[in-house]
Amino acid sequence: MTRPLFSRGDGLLLLAALTLVITLYAALWHNEGHGAEAVVLVNGQRWARLNLFHDQELEVPGPLGHSHIRVHDGRVRFVDSPCPNKLCVHTGWLSQGGEVAVCLPNRVSVKILAQDPRFDTINF
Amino acid sequence: MIVAVLRILLLFSLVFLSACERKPAAYHEQLLVFGTVVEVSLFGVSEQQGRQAVARLNEDFEYMHRTWHAWHPGPLGRVNQLLASGESFSAPPSILPLIQRGAELSRRSGGLFNPAVGKLIALWGFASDDPPTGPPPQPAAIHAILDQHPSMDDVVVDGIRLQCRNPAVKLDFGAFAKGYAVDRAIERLQEMGIKDAVVNAGGDLRAIGRHGDRPWRVGIRHPRQPGILAAVEVEGDESVFTSGDYERYFDWQGVRYSHIIDPRSGYPASGLSSVTVFSRQADLADAAATALFVAGPQEKDWLPVARAMGVAGVLLVDQAGTVHMTPGLTERIHFETEPLPKVIYSEAL
Amino acid sequence: MTTPIQPTVHTQRDDHLIAGFTALAITIHIAESALPSLLPGIKPGLANVVTLLVLCRYGWVMAAWVALLRVLVGSILIGTFLSPTFFLSAAGALASVLVLGLLAAVSRAGSPWAVGPLGLGLAAALAHMSGQFWLAYVLFVPHSGLLTLYPVLMSLAAVLGLASGLLTHTVLARLNSSPSKA
Repeated sequence: MTRPLFSRGDGLLLLAALTLVITLYAALWHNEGHGAEAVVLVNGQRWARLNLFHDQELEVPGPLGHSHIRVHDGRVRFVDSPCPNKLCVHTGWLSQGGEVAVCLPNRVSVKILAQDPRFDTINF
Repeated sequence: MIVAVLRILLLFSLVFLSACERKPAAYHEQLLVFGTVVEVSLFGVSEQQGRQAVARLNEDFEYMHRTWHAWHPGPLGRVNQLLASGESFSAPPSILPLIQRGAELSRRSGGLFNPAVGKLIALWGFASDDPPTGPPPQPAAIHAILDQHPSMDDVVVDGIRLQCRNPAVKLDFGAFAKGYAVDRAIERLQEMGIKDAVVNAGGDLRAIGRHGDRPWRVGIRHPRQPGILAAVEVEGDESVFTSGDYERYFDWQGVRYSHIIDPRSGYPASGLSSVTVFSRQADLADAAATALFVAGPQEKDWLPVARAMGVAGVLLVDQAGTVHMTPGLTERIHFETEPLPKVIYSEAL
Repeated sequence: MTTPIQPTVHTQRDDHLIAGFTALAITIHIAESALPSLLPGIKPGLANVVTLLVLCRYGWVMAAWVALLRVLVGSILIGTFLSPTFFLSAAGALASVLVLGLLAAVSRAGSPWAVGPLGLGLAAALAHMSGQFWLAYVLFVPHSGLLTLYPVLMSLAAVLGLASGLLTHTVLARLNSSPSKA
């Protein structure tokens, strides 16, 4: 009952498996530019690292109070903050690597990280 | 046979693990200093080098912020008091270069960039930690200052002594202090032997060198909607500075009053949403962005000022969303919005 | 490859065989779970070699019993019965058993497209990983970021599956070349 190690059936299966795996990479790995992680800084220090694919709400403490940050569907934003201008809130949703929103009075900022960011820095 | 199997398995594992190796990253740190967010990116430095360099920059920025603050008590405040007295006095070494550079840039801009109108800025409520809420000041109050024509020419520099002939002069370097500070920061980094870096102070940046094997990728934010307007690659030594009506402003009865005051009319400039200037020196780019914002969307108004100041490229967005651009930027700017904006090319600089 | 066996009729010997092989598989499985894994969810899967051996020598039905019993009894012994881990293992085991059944049906002795231990190991591992992944994706972590992990997991599963198939072939060859006891 000793048969050869590698039969035609095996060969076909190997080919099919290879094709499958390559197709999976091609189909699922095109999002490299978009950020997958964000970092929350308080006073310039890392306070939390967020997985953007995990919807969540955060209350980030600063000298003025808590800034409310929301992660939803791969994007992140300030929802509310105890500052007079609410510029941080007006910045809106961040999704690309390098994008930043900051609440200066409350010393809280959020930035999107990406392995190979489309932008190293944002001018505004 | 088992050994052979294990060897193959080991080989495969190594192949996979080596594929996970990350590309070398830039050293990046964010400072909350100078009244804004300063982001420093350094390439080709060790973690320790990076930390030391950024700590040094942090000290520098804190010093500059204290020294040049337009309304908190400090050296600039004292200078303004002494200027108002009309007497001659010795200029503090931390302020004198700022005054000289400011005067030079003001002249080149034809007075559109004018750091001597601090009283107007204060009148409109932009010289305070709290955002102004309106209403706009009375025309009489505006003209009281305007009619005295405060200008940098009124500040006479004699060696290290200063004297001012015009009591309406109050120095507020807000329109170019960031650029000036960024230049000092880049110089500091170069002194430390760092050749590839970006210093971004509140969105305005100067980049030197490259990001390793590729240029620095800069995204220009859209003045009116979230997201990026355009992408541009920067390498060598270049500053990218933007002045916009969305930075500091108040709305009153449906009209937006932004913090960039036209020194000729005494009212906030309003023809444009934003101006982005490309130039080597950051203080020049900063002052030019302000001056061109004041000049407005008409090419006959802004192009001569851009030429006189010697900038390398200009990109303006007017209130209708149309982009005006100097032709030198054509190859470098890649617009990212859908649909693409309408672009009008000016004459070459 | 198999002699048709009615499910309701088991000879005493078959019961002993199933018990024996399941015990072997469970032992290997428990020993393996004590080891730290390189990446979450990735185990060398040596216990799968037992499943493949049983499949090649005693047929699909026996292999199915061994595979599923291993998950059930193993989880009770380790203490993860009815936990998310259990459901993931069960999904993986079910998927690989079904795929093996398909391939076994196609690989009747003499068929030119018969699949050997190498192919079986490969297919079983890919099916096992897919079963686990999709259950995890649908039930536990339905976020698109997880999808970027899938091709990586499948690549590793393919390699480990081939390895287990190779190991199975070797063991079979050894067993066949000497008077077999089991």
